[in-house]
Amino acid sequence: MNIIPVQALKQLLTGVSGHGNQHLSEVEADLQQTALLLGEAIETLSASFNAIHAAVAAQQLALDELLAAQGVQAEAAQPLRQLREEIGAQVGAAITAMQFQDMTSQLIGRMLKRIDGLRDLLAPLENGQTAMPHADEHEALSLLLHNMHERVRDKSQALNGGLRQSVKQQHMASGDVELF
Amino acid sequence: MAKTILTVDDSGSLRAMVAFSLKAAGYQVVEAVDGQDGLSKAKEKTVDLVLTDQNMPIMDGLTLIRQLRGLGSYQKVPILMLTTESSDEMKAKGKAAGANGWLVKPFDPKRLIEVVQKVIG
Repeated sequence: MNIIPVQALKQLLTGVSGHGNQHLSEVEADLQQTALLLGEAIETLSASFNAIHAAVAAQQLALDELLAAQGVQAEAAQPLRQLREEIGAQVGAAITAMQFQDMTSQLIGRMLKRIDGLRDLLAPLENGQTAMPHADEHEALSLLLHNMHERVRDKSQALNGGLRQSVKQQHMASGDVELF
Repeated sequence: MAKTILTVDDSGSLRAMVAFSLKAAGYQVVEAVDGQDGLSKAKEKTVDLVLTDQNMPIMDGLTLIRQLRGLGSYQKVPILMLTTESSDEMKAKGKAAGANGWLVKPFDPKRLIEVVQKVIG
């Protein structure tokens, strides 16, 4: 039976760890950039939303005063009342939808923690290089893989245990309400 | 006199939307950025209702509720959770800690006001 030389296996695992870390860093940078863009987007959206709401409220007040001054009948002002209700409903829908950033930032935070954990999980593959005794190839290989397997398993379990899923929403419809 | 509501959330955008909705309905709003800040502001002035998130740095919502319930002035003040958490397990923890209700994000402002009015008028 051909056995992979221990030194070659170590190099392979070190390569896997190195490439893995490189890609994780790329994902991490993309997520941080996404969080930044979403944060800036919600700030702009909130400012525009507040400005539009203030302008519409002022416009409605001016219209009310104008209608009162002109002595317009209540029936004639009915279309304006309907528009006001429609605006109110749309404002409510916008407030619900604009809560996306709170949820996405929690999800991104969880992803970044998992990336940290994955980086930690890959470390034993690289660290195995210094931990190896130079003994019989087959015995050394078994020991190397056994130790790595245990360390990776332990770190994976620790990672899962520390990352509870707090955002399970799949859409932006408003959530349940329960009074105790 | 307008009733005062303390809203506790580490998300600035979420706090802004809660405050916008409550102020539009005539309530006064005090904002806090985490549980510790919420506890500090609650001690400064007893509010009529506390609306708190769960997952926050420094002090989470459940800890804030337990701390508030330990203060004489907050034993009967209504406390509502407003959080992304929706599991029965978390709701049970909230109830045990002393919460009076649980609202899952995202909230509908009309519904939020209905609940607040039902709880404090």
